[in-house]
Amino acid sequence: MKSKLTRPVILALFILPVFMVYSIFLMIPLVQTGYYSLTSWNGISQKVFIGFDNFNALMKNNDYWITFFNTMKLTAVSLLIQITVGLLLAYLLYQKTKGAKIFRTIFFLPVVIAPVAIGLMFSLFYNSQIGIFNKILTVLGLGMFQTHWLSNINTLLYAVMAPQVWQYIGLYVTIFLGAMQTIPVETIESTQIDGAGKTRTFFNVVLPQLSGFMNICIVLCLTGSLKAFDHSWIMTGGGPGVRSAYLGVFMYKTAFTNSDFGLGSAITITIVIISLLMTGLFNQFTAGEHDN
Amino acid sequence: MNRLIKNALVFTVTAVLLTGIVGCGSGKENLGNSSTVQSETTSVATTTAKSKVSLVFATNWGEGDSKYTYFDPKFKEFQKANADTMDIVLETNSTEDFKTKIKIQTASGDLPSAFTYWGGAMMNNMVDAGLLLDVDEYFNASSTVKRDNFEPTSFSYYTAADGKTYGVPLESTRGIFLVNTEIFKKYNLQVPKTYDELKNVSKILNQNGIIPIAMASNGGTPAEFFFSELYNQYSGAAEEIKNFTASRKFNTSNAVKVAANIQDMISNNMFPKDTVANGGWGPCLQLYTDQKAAMTYTYPWMFESIPEEIQKISDIVPIPKLPDADIDPANIMSGFTVYGCVIKKAAFTDTVTHDAMVKLCDFLASDDLSTNLTKSGMIPAKKITVDMNGQKLIYQKMMSYAEGKNLIQVHFSTIPSQSALSMLDTSLDELFINALTPQAFVDKVQAALDKK
Repeated sequence: MKSKLTRPVILALFILPVFMVYSIFLMIPLVQTGYYSLTSWNGISQKVFIGFDNFNALMKNNDYWITFFNTMKLTAVSLLIQITVGLLLAYLLYQKTKGAKIFRTIFFLPVVIAPVAIGLMFSLFYNSQIGIFNKILTVLGLGMFQTHWLSNINTLLYAVMAPQVWQYIGLYVTIFLGAMQTIPVETIESTQIDGAGKTRTFFNVVLPQLSGFMNICIVLCLTGSLKAFDHSWIMTGGGPGVRSAYLGVFMYKTAFTNSDFGLGSAITITIVIISLLMTGLFNQFTAGEHDN
Repeated sequence: MNRLIKNALVFTVTAVLLTGIVGCGSGKENLGNSSTVQSETTSVATTTAKSKVSLVFATNWGEGDSKYTYFDPKFKEFQKANADTMDIVLETNSTEDFKTKIKIQTASGDLPSAFTYWGGAMMNNMVDAGLLLDVDEYFNASSTVKRDNFEPTSFSYYTAADGKTYGVPLESTRGIFLVNTEIFKKYNLQVPKTYDELKNVSKILNQNGIIPIAMASNGGTPAEFFFSELYNQYSGAAEEIKNFTASRKFNTSNAVKVAANIQDMISNNMFPKDTVANGGWGPCLQLYTDQKAAMTYTYPWMFESIPEEIQKISDIVPIPKLPDADIDPANIMSGFTVYGCVIKKAAFTDTVTHDAMVKLCDFLASDDLSTNLTKSGMIPAKKITVDMNGQKLIYQKMMSYAEGKNLIQVHFSTIPSQSALSMLDTSLDELFINALTPQAFVDKVQAALDKK
């Protein structure tokens, strides 16, 4: 029996559940947040429409810019370390290294651990009274680098970044390894028969074939950094001041600690705008690359 | 078969999604309409089929809190005794989670019927929104608890700008400076009374691997209270703190002096170097109880964490007098109301739940509960006689030391806004890692106060 439903109706029916979920859980709250960002609201009182005053206040707020640059630093460090190390480790595993399966599991293990647990674990590691980090440095003969990692203004931010950057390397290892396994073995073998070494094979054959996956990893890394919250919140609460806070932490503190939901919403909107801008720019860049 | 499994899977996923959507959409209150919803809400309490009244009581006195051991059994007794007439849901969270929970519940119009909470800046938003009960209405309705039963000064922390009181004060407190007499004896040291003496003592203690004073700042604790204690050594400081709510002035010469002295103490290695790791009430006190530090400044809510042997070898002494201070610290002691119980107006004025609410509040403000809570180190805000023999040694020492002292307030109890309090806390953290100059620290807090 032929269905009476036309193809567009069937397509619409399939799309409907996802559309509803996205509308209810993403678009409607986003629009509401956009509205709240234009109001003065402490979460209890009547919302007073104040136009773009919250955004003006943010532009003049020194703490906002500190957290903005902290987030940009995290993004840069994550892109540099997570993608590079992830790629290298994946290639090492791809070389049929002995115990590759065990290493693959070990690399991926931190990804499935709750960021809260990782943050707490690292804050104990860094503790100069009871932590093992300084002790390890002493054992390695690097005692001169010992410091109070979370109380030293020069190391604080990077000490907070480290666990987040480390935790998600395994995710990229897994993605890149999966991607490498899709490359036909014949391609690799013929390259090596032609005399290419492992390094040359990596740069001239493997890497170009990963460009699509690389783009996905870069977008994941960008968005993951822009919404960073857990590690900073657990380890230092974003402090001292906002010196180890990212935009997400600053937004939470503004809205939920200071009860300034209007300003907190404005910070959220700026995070959304930055995310869209960065993703848009990246897509533009990669589209140009494909055109060439 | 495969097709059947696929269909079943699609059906299950769709059902789960739809259930989620329906479930999430059915809430009668939401953030977006919170202000309207709250004003229209008449009660969160309901009556069950058996005409039992349902109430919610929320507190941070749950497991892990020093008061848990003394509060929980009494609460269960109360629940049991009133099981025929009321269902009381007890909601507990750790302190920081509890603060966030109440803020979110306030915004969503879903406040508990009654809850323990802080006064001053912490409750102002709820008062402004008309969510809390003027407790004189409760005192009028109660046959056992009256306003006269409390120390008159204890109400100031819960008195709002409109002159009405919005909380039943339960806990008063005193700040104490502890010295480990064994450590002082071991290194043949005298307890310092002046700043110069403190410097000399610190030098010797540091040479022997002992931290002079367990004091740090993480989220502003415990440094915020230490800052106020030092602040009160200056002429006019007590008045400045007392009038802080109205004046909104933090940028005083006294504040800059104290901040400068704190930085001098840091540069003289008087505090643990890792201030973030050792900040917070617990970690800071632990340095002292582990005998890694010779002195500390703490409050009675931490007494439960001081082992008996440490209580025995601890003396309470005045904080050494700062170099440019005018007031002898031996004559003053911080002492103020710090905690109490607030009542949701809608739950109290609802005729269905009114009587049960009075009963619940009577229990919370009862002599019996207050007396029991003193065992955790709590100083009752209520006028009751505390049997000292049943108290911890450190509690006895504190009450004895407090006799005849001029009680002073701290910034925490009079600071006018939540955002300024938050700025004071986080800026102190920055001051402790030398990321701010004393003037920059003071300016940051003042800027938060100046913000409308």
